[in-house]
Amino acid sequence: MMKNIYIILCCCLITSWGCGDKFLDRDPLVGVTDANYYNTAEDAVAAVNAAYAALQFERNPAGHFRWFWGDIMSDDSDKGGSGDNDVFELFLLETFQTPINGVLLDSEWKASYEGIYRANVVLEKVPPIEMDETLKNRILSEARFIRSYFYYNMVTIFGGVPLVDHILAPSEYNIPRNSADEIWDFIEEDLTTAIPNLPLKNEYAFSDMGRITKGAAQSLLVKVYMWRQNWTQAKLMAEEVVASGQYFLAPDFGSIYSMEGENGPGSIFEIQFMTESGGTWDNPNEGTLSNIFQRPRGQFDGFGFNLPTQDLINAFFAEDPNNEDPRLRYTVFREGDVLGDRGVFTKEATGFPHEYYPRKFFNSKSEEASFGDPAPNGGSNDRVIRYADLLLMHAEASYQTGDESAAKNSLNMVRARARGNSSLLPDVTASGQALLDAIYHERRVELALEGHRFFDLVRTGRASAVLGPLGYVDGKHNLFPVPESQILATNGAITQNPGY
Amino acid sequence: MKFNLTLILLFSILAHSVFAQITVTGIVTSSEDDEPVIGATIEIKDAENGEGTITEFDGSFSLEVPKSDAVLIFSYLGLKTLEVNVAGRAELDVVMFPESSLLAEVVVVGYGTQKRSNISGAVSVIKSDEITETPILRTEQALQGKASGVLVSQNSGSPGSSLTVRVRGIGSINGSDPLYIVDGIPVSNLDYLNPNDIETMSILKDAASTAIYGSRGSNGVVLITTKNGEKEQEGRITYEGYFGIQSPWKKKHLLNAREYAIIQKEAYIAAGQTPPLEFANPDVFGEGTDWQDAIFETAPIMSHQLGISGGGSKTTYSVSGSYFLQDGIVGGDKARFERYTGRINGQHDVKNWLTIGTNIGLSHFKRNAIPENNEFSTPLIRALNMDPITPVRKFDGTYAYSLYADTDIANPVNQIEQTHDIWKSNTLLGSLFTDIKFMENLSLKTIYSTETTIATQDLFFPRFDLSYDPILSDAPAQEKRLENSVIFNTYRWTTWQIENILTYQKTFKEKHALTAVLANTLIKRAHHVHGGANSNLPSNDPDAAFINNTIDPIESMSTFEYATERALFSYLGRINYDLDDKYLFAAVLRYDGSSRFGPNNRFGYYPSISTGWIISRENFWSIDAVSFLKLRMSWGINGNDGAGDDYPYTAIVLPGQNYVFGPDENITSGSVATVAGNPDIKWEAIIQPDVGLDIELWDGKLNLTTDFYVKRTSGMLYEAPIPHTAGTAPPVQNVATVRNRGWELSASYREKESDFKYSIGGNIAIVKNEVTSVGQGGEPVFSGYIQSGNSFATITDVGIPIASFYGYVTDGLFQNQGEVEEHAFQSENTAPGDIRFKDLNNDGVINGEDRTVIGNPIPNFTYGANIDMEYKGFDLSIFLQGVQGNDLYNGTVRYDFGYVNRPISVLDRWTGEGTSFSEPRVNLSDPNQNARISDRFIEDGSYLRFKNVQLGYNLPKKWIERVRLQKMRVYLSSQNLFTFTKYSGLDPEIGTVGGALEIGLDRGFYPQSRTFLGGIQISF
Repeated sequence: MMKNIYIILCCCLITSWGCGDKFLDRDPLVGVTDANYYNTAEDAVAAVNAAYAALQFERNPAGHFRWFWGDIMSDDSDKGGSGDNDVFELFLLETFQTPINGVLLDSEWKASYEGIYRANVVLEKVPPIEMDETLKNRILSEARFIRSYFYYNMVTIFGGVPLVDHILAPSEYNIPRNSADEIWDFIEEDLTTAIPNLPLKNEYAFSDMGRITKGAAQSLLVKVYMWRQNWTQAKLMAEEVVASGQYFLAPDFGSIYSMEGENGPGSIFEIQFMTESGGTWDNPNEGTLSNIFQRPRGQFDGFGFNLPTQDLINAFFAEDPNNEDPRLRYTVFREGDVLGDRGVFTKEATGFPHEYYPRKFFNSKSEEASFGDPAPNGGSNDRVIRYADLLLMHAEASYQTGDESAAKNSLNMVRARARGNSSLLPDVTASGQALLDAIYHERRVELALEGHRFFDLVRTGRASAVLGPLGYVDGKHNLFPVPESQILATNGAITQNPGY
Repeated sequence: MKFNLTLILLFSILAHSVFAQITVTGIVTSSEDDEPVIGATIEIKDAENGEGTITEFDGSFSLEVPKSDAVLIFSYLGLKTLEVNVAGRAELDVVMFPESSLLAEVVVVGYGTQKRSNISGAVSVIKSDEITETPILRTEQALQGKASGVLVSQNSGSPGSSLTVRVRGIGSINGSDPLYIVDGIPVSNLDYLNPNDIETMSILKDAASTAIYGSRGSNGVVLITTKNGEKEQEGRITYEGYFGIQSPWKKKHLLNAREYAIIQKEAYIAAGQTPPLEFANPDVFGEGTDWQDAIFETAPIMSHQLGISGGGSKTTYSVSGSYFLQDGIVGGDKARFERYTGRINGQHDVKNWLTIGTNIGLSHFKRNAIPENNEFSTPLIRALNMDPITPVRKFDGTYAYSLYADTDIANPVNQIEQTHDIWKSNTLLGSLFTDIKFMENLSLKTIYSTETTIATQDLFFPRFDLSYDPILSDAPAQEKRLENSVIFNTYRWTTWQIENILTYQKTFKEKHALTAVLANTLIKRAHHVHGGANSNLPSNDPDAAFINNTIDPIESMSTFEYATERALFSYLGRINYDLDDKYLFAAVLRYDGSSRFGPNNRFGYYPSISTGWIISRENFWSIDAVSFLKLRMSWGINGNDGAGDDYPYTAIVLPGQNYVFGPDENITSGSVATVAGNPDIKWEAIIQPDVGLDIELWDGKLNLTTDFYVKRTSGMLYEAPIPHTAGTAPPVQNVATVRNRGWELSASYREKESDFKYSIGGNIAIVKNEVTSVGQGGEPVFSGYIQSGNSFATITDVGIPIASFYGYVTDGLFQNQGEVEEHAFQSENTAPGDIRFKDLNNDGVINGEDRTVIGNPIPNFTYGANIDMEYKGFDLSIFLQGVQGNDLYNGTVRYDFGYVNRPISVLDRWTGEGTSFSEPRVNLSDPNQNARISDRFIEDGSYLRFKNVQLGYNLPKKWIERVRLQKMRVYLSSQNLFTFTKYSGLDPEIGTVGGALEIGLDRGFYPQSRTFLGGIQISF
């Protein structure tokens, strides 16, 4: 008896030696290892959707909204909030006391590369999948656009950045910066490759509304040409978008910023957001925090950021001191204005002495699901590229190539929509510098508080003149500093921008 | 029955004593209580036939001895063995002394037991009487101040919250909790355990002792053995109960309403803003509201426990049950913790070669949680920051809201009322074992065990609105919730383990004692969680809050699910060899495999050796005062497979990265791996040499144990930051090394003078922590975000202790404009009265580059002391515990909001040249960022605490015997009666809140209470 047990015991000990590895092989119960994923068309779609999701990143870990850089850094708006110390770093940035180790720019850098990584995953993992080639090519082109879009943001904010065109292995983490030209070339190549395989806006199913269109890629390429002052190409590419017949200016300017105006006739590229997606402060899911950040404080349950400056208001009176540009009332709230179902704007109701609040990201209470959260996320899409923007770029490029009549034509299309039935904003007939100034002015008022102004000023060489009094130094502040964390993390492989 | 047996034995012994020449008679008594010792064994030394006897009920004995100078050996369990020369006497009364030496104790070590005198590693032991001496809620509290080198700190004072336990410093960035083994079963936490069920706790500290637990022993091992009956023990029933009242022991000194109005008015004006009109005459406000009084309350605590144990010749058993209830001093019954436990331990000898047994523990607890320990939305942070002008309630009795506060700061009393967060947890911890004795020296124990916890969390967020006019809805967002919602989550943790332990034990030639252990272990752990949420419920009644009880269930209901598992597979072996009970030697080898690592580096080997030399047993030892002296030396390697995600070796593609398409805003699924995998990760290695001494003086009156060690953790598993260009969260990598060096001393002294007995014990430990490398690019790790300072407050970097405080260095205040201009540029609107920060890099600008290490969260030393006295049935015990030399970051004032209430120190603020040199001017917008993270908020965290003071009285036997009681003791006790500290916050005892790299950060810490209670202990 004893002996038998002893033998059994020995057998147990010896045989179980071999089963260790099998016992320890544990695959994830939730999710699939990346080696076993990417087999079907559904997987390919899910992969590119994840790249789209990166477009919605706003607050991980800190805010990096487009309007931070485009508007607050410019003469159009001030930081706002509860005081200078509310997101103090943004205060330092807007007063050009730029810190090099802040979290906001670090977030921008991080989110962009997360998007680039996700696009790279698509471009690396989807090609081997056996699936419909048209769909596959579309997905790859969507990924190329998303990659381009993030590089576009990076190159305009930081200049040359490390060029990552594949999934990095840990040994490759420390790549240095490429030149800005290399990044621009890379974007041009990606977009040029993507355009032929992308559907037109009306070629997409309704349920795919919001996906990248041919027009979006072409328009982004126009922007790239504009930055590179490749006016001829910019003009030609813009004309292709116009000729596609996919876009027209919505007759009512104000309708653009309503919920109903999302993905409207003039919409070329919008980052899609929705409320009621159960997000949290750190992870708003499909919602955006732009709404709550830009609403007034106090009764309006917002944080009161991105406050329009008097200078911006004045711009809407520049053409006619007695009559404001009709777009002003769709751009800012002034005292006495009714803020949807949230009540009337008075200083008392906001608890702050500010005169103006931004309007383009305003949403009514009824337009958001609170989900038990006193600070719910909002659903306003971010209108990144509008047809008016494209027309004004066309006007500018045409001017620069000497085609003033084409310039005026495009410019006046935008003005005609803005004036509606009123007698304001007559067609521009000027030429020369006055025409260019008119185009610049039109960009400012048409696209105010949509994240363009600072970059327009830098691109057109006017930043020093306009922002100089605010502390802007040419040759330094035209680019933001590379986050110091990234210089440290790469042991100095990444270098700092001049002046910082 | 046992008695009959002994009689037979006695007769047989007597029958053999035919050649006896003298008959010795006498009585054996115990020195402790002067009572007779029943059943003491008396043997004649060197007797050929082992003659001897056993004392009778009255302690008497009678024994015939062969010659008049025979030596008798008196022995009894628990008493010191005594040798007495008969020396011709016919009457011999003997007094036996208790086994004064701790050294004879049998101590539970990993996979076996050892006599304390023969242990060659560093092990601390805590026994049940030390555990139950203080009424404690959680088992970890019993470790506090009792075992040298074990730092225990409260993560929160709220009922039911966990504690941080660190054995020999912070060994790893990613979790340094020790391994807890209860009756041989590794458990994930001690939530379920009733401290009263514990018989002993052994804390294995050095690598040689813990190496037997290989990969999981790196942060120390706490071995817990629960109570069982003893063989031949008459059934015993015990009841213990207490009831007490807890109350806060400290309040922060904040401004009253009048002072607040004065300060705020000044702050508005300084910021160039018009103060609210009502501040014009501050006197009208008077005292205002004390929000601390509004949220603090006295709260009950109570406990009942019943235990029954006993044993026969083949069976032992122990059954116990307990009930515990504690309310919070903040939140009252909204912070209630209620626990029921039941336990059955039993063991039976089926055959002479087979023993079976079981340990089953069941527990149910319910914990109502209120938000705590963050600076955004807890009742405490709100009470500390809410303006004193706002009343708690409006005239109509409903809660009021503040006209000044926004976003984070809201009425804390209302918040408590609106909180419904209930955890219910059921745990089954059970094991079955068989112990087979193949032959005299060889046995095999097989244990199957499981730990299963099923917990639920019910969260309900009711509708409320503090508006004066519900139609206007005038209350700010933080003071109303117009749509209610419910969350219901279910968690399931299951662990099972199979363990086979083969033990061989033999002593050769009475000199060579050999014990060998060979074992294997398989463990599998699984975790599963799922839950749902819904909003807009028709009913606002928490009892009717179900996720399907809503107006539109389909639209708003959401669900989630997550599951993970891991497995561990190990072989282990140990040899103990003691020569002559003088030279001790032990060697361990463990072979561990973990599913957390990929096939590349799955297995690790963990060796250790230790030696001991009992010098006092050498013949040359002649110092009589030193009755025992042992030198120990050990060396070993442990591993750690880290905390966190269970599949760090691979990238996992997960859904949830969604986007919205289409006019109907359809959420469309997206999938990607957001965290990189690392197929090459392997075990973290901890190498630890240790040298120790155990000394006993004056026959055990004084015991000393001391240890020196160095503990070096290398290849630390950590998600070290990687460049963002990777596009993913960092993979777990083997980076960073940390070194802990330490010295520990524990001492105890016992004395008895007639009726007065006392003992004094104490321990002290010094540990120096230093990060010696952070690996990779060498980028330091920042952690501990402080909202009011708008930055991270801790840094982990080479050459400094883990999680050191990091920030600006203050240098007094600017007294005039000249000083502002003279100094490096701080901010455009810096003015006299603002803080001058040191320009450490001398570049003429104060910016992020001027930050440095400003504090160390790790104490220079930690200590504990206890004094116990007994006199004629009365006993008094005092237990002190403290830490010295650590820093705390006081982040309790939300300076990022201009409207918050402030400590009264602001009354001494700068108001003109020379008026203050430390308290800056007030300014609503703080343009100089006086609130930035700086040494202004670093405070000395040292404290000495009277953890427990207890006065007890044992009712005299003659009284209680009438009601057939064996023992009845009543006591009065106080916890945290006195606390000596310079810290200005509510409680200096702040553990690790918010992550391993956030130590001693006070963001409105839930303080511990001062408790007074009375209790009774009865056994019969």
